[in-house]
Amino acid sequence: MNIRQATVEDLMSMQNCNLLNLPENYQMKYYLYHALSWPQLSYVAEDHKGRIVGYVLAKMEEEPTDVPHGHITSLSVLRTYRRLGLAEKLMTQSQKMMVEAFGAHYVSLHVRKTNRAALSLYKDTLKFNVEGIEKKYYADGEDAYAMRKNLIDTKKSVPRGVVEEINPAVAAH
Amino acid sequence: MNAKRELPAKENAIFKNILRNYEHKQYKKGLKLADTILKKFPEHGETLAMKGLFLNNLEKKEEGYEFVKKGLRFDLTSHICWHVFGLLYRSDKNYEEAAKCYTHALKYNKSDMQILRDFALLQTQMRHYDALIETRTQLLQAKPTNPPFWIGVALAYQLVGKYDIAIQVLEAHESALREQSVNFEQSELLMYHNSLLEESGDIEKALEHLETVEPKVCDKRAWKVKKAEFLLKLNRLEEAETAYRLLISENPDNYSYIKGLIAVKGLNADNLTSEQQSAMLKIFDDIQSDFPRSTAARNLPLNYASGDNFRNRADAYLQSALRKGVPSLFVDIKRLYSDSAKEKIVEELVTGYEVSLEKTGHFNEEQDEKVVEPPTAYLWTLYFLAQHYDKQRKTELALKTIDKAIEHTPTLVELYMTKGRILKHGGDLEAAARVMNEAREMDLQDRFINSKCAKYYIRNDKIEEAEKILGLFTRPDAASPLQDLTDMQCMWLTLEEGDSYLRQGQKGKALKRYHTVEKFFSDIFDDQFDFHTYCLRKTTLRSYVDTIRFEDNLKGSHYFVRAAVGAVKAYTSLADKPSGANGMDEANMSEAEKKKARNKARKAELKAQKENKPPKKEQVKEEAPKKVDVKKPTDEDPEGEKYLKTTDALASALEWVRPLEQVAPKHIQTHLLGFEIYLRKGSMLLALKALVQSWTIDKTNPQVAKNIARFKEAVSANPPANADVKAVIDSQLATLA
Repeated sequence: MNIRQATVEDLMSMQNCNLLNLPENYQMKYYLYHALSWPQLSYVAEDHKGRIVGYVLAKMEEEPTDVPHGHITSLSVLRTYRRLGLAEKLMTQSQKMMVEAFGAHYVSLHVRKTNRAALSLYKDTLKFNVEGIEKKYYADGEDAYAMRKNLIDTKKSVPRGVVEEINPAVAAH
Repeated sequence: MNAKRELPAKENAIFKNILRNYEHKQYKKGLKLADTILKKFPEHGETLAMKGLFLNNLEKKEEGYEFVKKGLRFDLTSHICWHVFGLLYRSDKNYEEAAKCYTHALKYNKSDMQILRDFALLQTQMRHYDALIETRTQLLQAKPTNPPFWIGVALAYQLVGKYDIAIQVLEAHESALREQSVNFEQSELLMYHNSLLEESGDIEKALEHLETVEPKVCDKRAWKVKKAEFLLKLNRLEEAETAYRLLISENPDNYSYIKGLIAVKGLNADNLTSEQQSAMLKIFDDIQSDFPRSTAARNLPLNYASGDNFRNRADAYLQSALRKGVPSLFVDIKRLYSDSAKEKIVEELVTGYEVSLEKTGHFNEEQDEKVVEPPTAYLWTLYFLAQHYDKQRKTELALKTIDKAIEHTPTLVELYMTKGRILKHGGDLEAAARVMNEAREMDLQDRFINSKCAKYYIRNDKIEEAEKILGLFTRPDAASPLQDLTDMQCMWLTLEEGDSYLRQGQKGKALKRYHTVEKFFSDIFDDQFDFHTYCLRKTTLRSYVDTIRFEDNLKGSHYFVRAAVGAVKAYTSLADKPSGANGMDEANMSEAEKKKARNKARKAELKAQKENKPPKKEQVKEEAPKKVDVKKPTDEDPEGEKYLKTTDALASALEWVRPLEQVAPKHIQTHLLGFEIYLRKGSMLLALKALVQSWTIDKTNPQVAKNIARFKEAVSANPPANADVKAVIDSQLATLA
């Protein structure tokens, strides 16, 4: 499976993959918004025929009250393409780009409380930690786990910018 | 100034507030203020127009147009009135009319920045690039301190292919910028500048520029990719090799990096010598040993290896995947079957595993006795073989094999999904859907199996059941599962339903689905509008230009082609045998049958209308991106009657083919569809052209041969009167052999 950066031409296939797989869906404009704001961060897995069988759609959160960090909007791999480690490979690339191109300190995501398979993927395979619970995060009223993973070595001193001084507590995570 | 336009000081101040209200989206407030002016000056054109604009933004479109037109009647030379009229058309996505209004507005106020800005957006959307250059230049001249205006000019020149001017403009802009620390916007701008050099064809210069900007670029990966590509193009092979190896180390699963390395080594040609072949395989093996987790390095050599070398690689590859239980193994391997020798080797290997695993628990007899394979290895082997036999259309053997697997492990969803596929391929759509449903019931949390199951029901023309199943994952506050999936622009479902209705002879509903797909496409085309402003600020210009080009070719998408195939089928069959307004084929019915069928249809329609109640008004908290209009109107034409009422079905069909002729001239369907329409219209030269095009693309397509015969028949039944036309037809037909 070919793992490469997503292009604008991939967005419709990503939308299709998302609709087949996940209950959280988005209109094309939202995909475009990702591709035209953070073109480096989204990746696709492609089979030999050029079909998109998995993707990660990611963004940066750049609020003035927090350090820059990445956020996974959506990640999915078609059921028939599991056990190839695609999710991990997609995430690894996206996270690298978050650090390299945007100086992200950490990456966050949400996962449904009842989705045990996804929870174990994020926790065990991708080494995310549960940060807290967001009550009724999903449209149907279900709670979400807010998860997070550090992307920079916290022991190394981080060049101090204005942002860290505003909110050292967050930077320490 | 026009005397009627002038307001007394007090009202004039109010009017200025009104303009401010619009800028700040305070539509209700603005509306109130407009009314206070209108109480005293009911014929003040600009206030009337502004009132219309507010009304339009408050979802009162018709009233909005009324007031704007009234305002315009009182003040035909006001740039504000014309601008507002343009804004209304724009919000209606009627770009042509909007552009006309802007042209009028500029006649009365040549240098209004806001109108010029809005005009530039429209010109971009409509691809009026020559006019865009003019507008963009005007904007830049008016305000050269605004960076997006510089970028706007460069972009406009790029889009007409005048790279030298585009580059000059960017250079001038960059030299005026103050020195800044590394930041994303600057980095994107520089990489965009570099892409212009590349597109202009001067790779030498592009590489030089790339080296200069390196310290200011944060998109390091793109920088490295461009460097490797440029070095390869410039034939600086040693450096190119280093560059590609670096990229591979960062992502050993990227095919284009590996292919780049192979090209560097000159091994990308067809017909390699056996020495070259082994050199290429060694490249893969080296990558594999450096990056053991790279599946690309293990998988790609299967394309190139042959004979025993292939057998050994395939053996290792298959065993490892079967041991791990990789469900996609067969889909991955079957591409190799285009080479029948490889197909045979794979079959020998896997049937060998089956026997050996069943007998000894090992993949083969020679295997080390101490290595114990997991019991699932046998299961996945059966799973693979079932798909293998299915591909060879040995349906019975495939079913026997998958049943054996199910007997071994009755709880694995994948096995049932495959059984369903085999049944579908064997033509038993009902059993296929039933088995898919069993699979779905085994994992109710998984939307993928839910979607597949629904698709199988639709293939069996059980749309109601399918929608019920889909409803388990759609938003509970949507009017219906179908409505939610339509809001989310779900292509697969809309197309599957269209095809199913067409099979069932319900052409109205079928056309309704295909036109829904058309609407998805026109919405996706409109989506780019906001980015004409956004990207100039954000400077993500490489992706932006990709977007413009992607949107230009949008309808070349296979989804659109599929919808066009269905729509043309429906429209041409309407043209062949006009049906009653209910969309049923009545050609072969007696009068009594017709009456009965119409009654039935009317009842069904009434029932459908009852079920199609307006959506509940309750507001449910939802994620921001998913926000869709809550106040969607009820479907007033669930049966798609408006499409059946077309007075010229062939003209309606042609509307589907025209865009394809523009953006997908190399797609055979474009011309097969065109042929169907032109032949029926009696446009023999156009039919001939379509026929020749389809023949050029693929002579072996069975439909092409049929079409040649149909064309000849039509010509002999109705010989052209014009001798020149006849000569053209004869000479062209002679080439189709």
